[in-house]
Amino acid sequence: MSGTIGQRVPLIDGIEKVTGRAQYTADLDSRDALVGRILRSSVSHGRIVKIDTSKAQALPGVVAVVTGEDCALTYGVIPIAMNEYPMSREKVRYRGEPIAAVAALDAETAARALDLIEVTITALPACYTPAQSRAPGAVLLHDDKPGNLEREVHHVFGDVTAGFAEADLVREETFDCAEINHAQMEPHAAIADYDAARDRLTLHSVSQVPFYVHLMLARCLEMDTAQIRVVKPFVGGGFGARTETLNFEIIAALLARKAGGKVMMRLTREETFLTHRGRPATQVKLKIGLTGTGKITAVECEAVMAGGGYAGYGLVTILYAGALLHGIYEVPNVKYDGYRVYTNAPPCGAMRGHGTVDVRHAFESLLDRMARELGLDPFAVRRANLLSAPMFTANGLMVNSYGLGTCMDRVETASGWPDRKGKLAPGRGLGMACSHYVSGAAKPVHWTGEPHAVVSMKLDFDGSVTVLTGASDIGQGSTTIVALAASEILGIGLNRIRTVTNDSVITPKDNGSYSSRVTFMVGNAAIEAAKAMRAKLVAAAAKKLEVSPDDIECEGETFFVRGSSQSELSFQDVAIAALAEEGTINVKGTFSTPVEAQGGKHRGGAVGSTMGFSYGAQVVEVSVDPDTCQITVEKVWAALDCGFAINPLAVEGQIEGSVWMGMGQGLCEETHYIDGLPAHANLTDYRFPTIAESPPIEVHIVESIDPLGPFGAKEAGEGALSGFPPALVNAVADALGMDVNFVPVTPDRVQEALIKFRRANRRKEAAE
Amino acid sequence: MSEALPRFQVLTPSSVAEAVTALYAHPDALPHAGGTDLIVRLRKGLSETGTLVDLGGIAVLQGIDPDAGGLRIGAGVTLATLERAEALAAYPAIPKAVAVVAGPTHREVATLGGNLCLDTRCVYYNQSHWWRQSNGFCLKYKGDTCHVAPQGNRCRAAFSGDIAPALMVHGAKIEIAGPEGTRHLPVTDFYHEDGAAHTDLRPGEIVVAVHLPPPGPQSDYAKIRVRGAIDYPLAGIAVACTASSEGKRFTLAVTGTNSMPVLVKSPGVLGAADDSDAYFGALEKLVQKTVSPQRTGTLAPHYRRLSVSALAARLARRLA
Amino acid sequence: MKRIVSLEINGRVVEEVVADNMLLVDLLRDRLGLTGAKKGCDGGECGACTVLVDGRPRLSCITLAASCEGTRVETIEGQAKGGHLSALQRAFHENLGAQCGFCTPGMILAAESLLRDNPTPDEDQIRVALGGNLCRCTGYVKIIESVLVAAAEVRA
Repeated sequence: MSGTIGQRVPLIDGIEKVTGRAQYTADLDSRDALVGRILRSSVSHGRIVKIDTSKAQALPGVVAVVTGEDCALTYGVIPIAMNEYPMSREKVRYRGEPIAAVAALDAETAARALDLIEVTITALPACYTPAQSRAPGAVLLHDDKPGNLEREVHHVFGDVTAGFAEADLVREETFDCAEINHAQMEPHAAIADYDAARDRLTLHSVSQVPFYVHLMLARCLEMDTAQIRVVKPFVGGGFGARTETLNFEIIAALLARKAGGKVMMRLTREETFLTHRGRPATQVKLKIGLTGTGKITAVECEAVMAGGGYAGYGLVTILYAGALLHGIYEVPNVKYDGYRVYTNAPPCGAMRGHGTVDVRHAFESLLDRMARELGLDPFAVRRANLLSAPMFTANGLMVNSYGLGTCMDRVETASGWPDRKGKLAPGRGLGMACSHYVSGAAKPVHWTGEPHAVVSMKLDFDGSVTVLTGASDIGQGSTTIVALAASEILGIGLNRIRTVTNDSVITPKDNGSYSSRVTFMVGNAAIEAAKAMRAKLVAAAAKKLEVSPDDIECEGETFFVRGSSQSELSFQDVAIAALAEEGTINVKGTFSTPVEAQGGKHRGGAVGSTMGFSYGAQVVEVSVDPDTCQITVEKVWAALDCGFAINPLAVEGQIEGSVWMGMGQGLCEETHYIDGLPAHANLTDYRFPTIAESPPIEVHIVESIDPLGPFGAKEAGEGALSGFPPALVNAVADALGMDVNFVPVTPDRVQEALIKFRRANRRKEAAE
Repeated sequence: MSEALPRFQVLTPSSVAEAVTALYAHPDALPHAGGTDLIVRLRKGLSETGTLVDLGGIAVLQGIDPDAGGLRIGAGVTLATLERAEALAAYPAIPKAVAVVAGPTHREVATLGGNLCLDTRCVYYNQSHWWRQSNGFCLKYKGDTCHVAPQGNRCRAAFSGDIAPALMVHGAKIEIAGPEGTRHLPVTDFYHEDGAAHTDLRPGEIVVAVHLPPPGPQSDYAKIRVRGAIDYPLAGIAVACTASSEGKRFTLAVTGTNSMPVLVKSPGVLGAADDSDAYFGALEKLVQKTVSPQRTGTLAPHYRRLSVSALAARLARRLA
Repeated sequence: MKRIVSLEINGRVVEEVVADNMLLVDLLRDRLGLTGAKKGCDGGECGACTVLVDGRPRLSCITLAASCEGTRVETIEGQAKGGHLSALQRAFHENLGAQCGFCTPGMILAAESLLRDNPTPDEDQIRVALGGNLCRCTGYVKIIESVLVAAAEVRA
């Protein structure tokens, strides 16, 4: 072993990023490309009566115009819930939904062409909230979805009634969490290049899931998958925004085919917001029963999500919320009712911490209040409910490693909690919360029976190792993890390794970057590939040194016979010897999830299942301005059990980034719609934090060494996020003596709540 | 869904007279200085113009110079320069307000004149062409209804400059050049309570300079915004305090709450024997009554009213 | 209207025929192939397009190209000299100041301008100077670290 893993290693594609050489989709050469632009619905809900493109088509410089007529096939990420057309047919269901698109010689012509397309739509009543959508007699968004319900989930584990009967304290609260958006820095873009002579299509796109994009292009364009190539260049962040095929990717392809050429589609920031797929507005009604010592006896939860106009990932989100509600603690009795509701708004989807964040927020907030009522410390109440791994949770989720207790110990000490909690100056407060997340879904959404991950490696005459992976690095550093795994197992330096990623004609298929699956699954596949490569090298060395392979030892790039310092072979020598046997060496490694990790047998039981959960605890310190009710996060202490930190530098970066993104959701981020029009679709009104008010984040890495994880590793990029919003409101409660049931805690909301709270207190005092 | 700039020509006058002539000759022309407001608006399709008159080459718009015991600041001076100008230390509210405008990179090119002439802002207005078209446009541009106050007959878009109130509490005057010659106005009189026509500039006129009287009062500026940078003020408050034998006299001006920066009616003198808690309580109430924030943004108007008033009292207490 | 604009970009004098309504970012990206300056927003909101004009940070997405006549423009592509990364580039690389990398060119150039003004910035000064540059990946923690490391190296 080379000792590469566990060291702080800069990203192997970092040089490109700091020198400007990294090419993102919009940076690719488009001098010979047509400009693609999309016409979008101005109406929230309506029937399309007529789309007349004749004037646009007649405009000089316009090469192709497409509408819903050009694609009668739906697309989507869940095979049983594909109800979205690339461009609307018959009906529009949200303002901003694509209706038509043009490809023109230049941007100005494209814009003029859009103005020339005449659209007649008969408006229908629109539903903007779940309450409106679920009201009796509400107009249906989809005829086959009565009550505008996309999916309802009803899960019961254990005996909830008996559980609440055992409790000494039962409390119920309703929490409102606003819709948020990923707002990744890179706006959406795609280049579609159609080779009419060969009937072949190449798409470069910003995707986290090029494989799914490939499948959907084949489906919607009715092309053989063999005729399509999908390439993912550098991607400027994803956070879930790009974990499903998006309409502009298919539209760009439809335009390119119709135009018989190349189309560059760069979406504006506003359009990037309209494409959405963010975290839905969620209302969580939560009831918890606790014994006097803080033991959880039962949990009952109802979650209602405003999902937008189409299915997207919706059924997964609503299932995730139920599955991850309780699996972090020992909860014997659980009832979960989830409702994913259609609304006339841009479709929601997966966002970092998919499914877990809003229910975790409710859970950790309510638990804190109940602890206070029982006179228990927030740490103590959580410690009373720890799991003991290995075990299976009530809903059948496998837990093999569990570092939550250690995480709590670390942040409790680091923050000075025992000495400082409750003793800070007025307007200042400390709060804490715990969180967890999956390391990849044990069952993928497209179940094909294939291994979940494949990594290929090549060794050739030059003595360099090329690692080929289809895993999408979107900035999280996954390519570096794959290279580190190869380096560690092969005992070679990183400079001997090159990586080739995300080109469907070259790299092995990968499901994509979502649900924090890449380190666990692709990391394991990379280890297997490297082991296969190493076996060949060792065999070649053994043959050359005329000993048995079992007698070969390696130290770094040197091979020698155990116990002898006489005969050494360099990596180069061994490589030449191995090549002499069979020529260029190609190996691969695969990873498949164990059956026991694939969740309970109940309907929807696969969602939430994983090989290993990350666990996190964090403490947040805030101060609140008494005049403006502005909340300043002074400091954050965050600990995450990531199993093993293959690259501690990257793990820190992931924890800092996810804690901070949780801060955005807790503090100031939210979407706003005015009758379905987004009032937030720019970066001054969608206010994610600037560097000015972003706090120091002290990171503690906890390593529980997961038995199935690559080198013991689990995920690190999502688990810490959902701890922030509840830790924040718990800190605000400490600072103000007031509990709030909403996020984000924007100053206007806090002020309004504070006015009501003080008025109620005065009334109470007057009554006494 | 377009982000391209409309076609226009840029004229580059080298004197105020040339600039005025150019603006007057092209009725649709717009003056261009730092471009941090104008170019964004043009990209969003919020103006149709065939001509920009670039003011960058006019020497007289530059410079911070002594002027009758006070200062003359050229309208073309950048905010980055103002932020660092030692001469302004005697007018503390001004550099403080300058330093919290937008982000540091905006301040590198944004000018004093540009900030004073900053377009009013509204959630129904600062949107793309598609957005506004989908919403039937609005009274401020291409439409006939103010969506903020549909019953009213004027635009409610909010004035969002940080610097004007700081200048107002120091009694600054604006120097304006136009086809009729030069005129001077107190900053307070430069603005009107109409979001669609909030400055006093007439066709062909440009702001040339700001004149500050000799320094005197202590002053301060505070801004309410969600983030620590970039954001326009949800509301902002400038306070100046002059001490005399009778006691302390306060001048207050508020931005972000109305279509113009609003000078608060004098709260009277705080004498040495007065109950200061009662005085500042009354001052807070006075500001609450003076301002009228509307639903021009996504945060509750009532919040903007209460917080800016509380901040006003806080700043006044500190200066007293 | 079009005019010939002459400016120095990364040390090289460039003469281009430029329409009056052309933005500096489009001149750099579409005409000169310098795609390091990114478009992250619809105008003036994110800082990803930041370049240096005469040594000062400038939002190239709201700057008219023609207004840069006679100026010295520096982009991220010109920061590495003789194959050596600048102190900031190396610090951002080694300390993970860049994750997805999309804000990085603008961030590094804004920081470069800060360090030229003030080689010993403290954390608060960094927070002020980079206030107009949004990042969605890092939480800014390692960006601040990177600037501090680069500043220490520049001093040494």
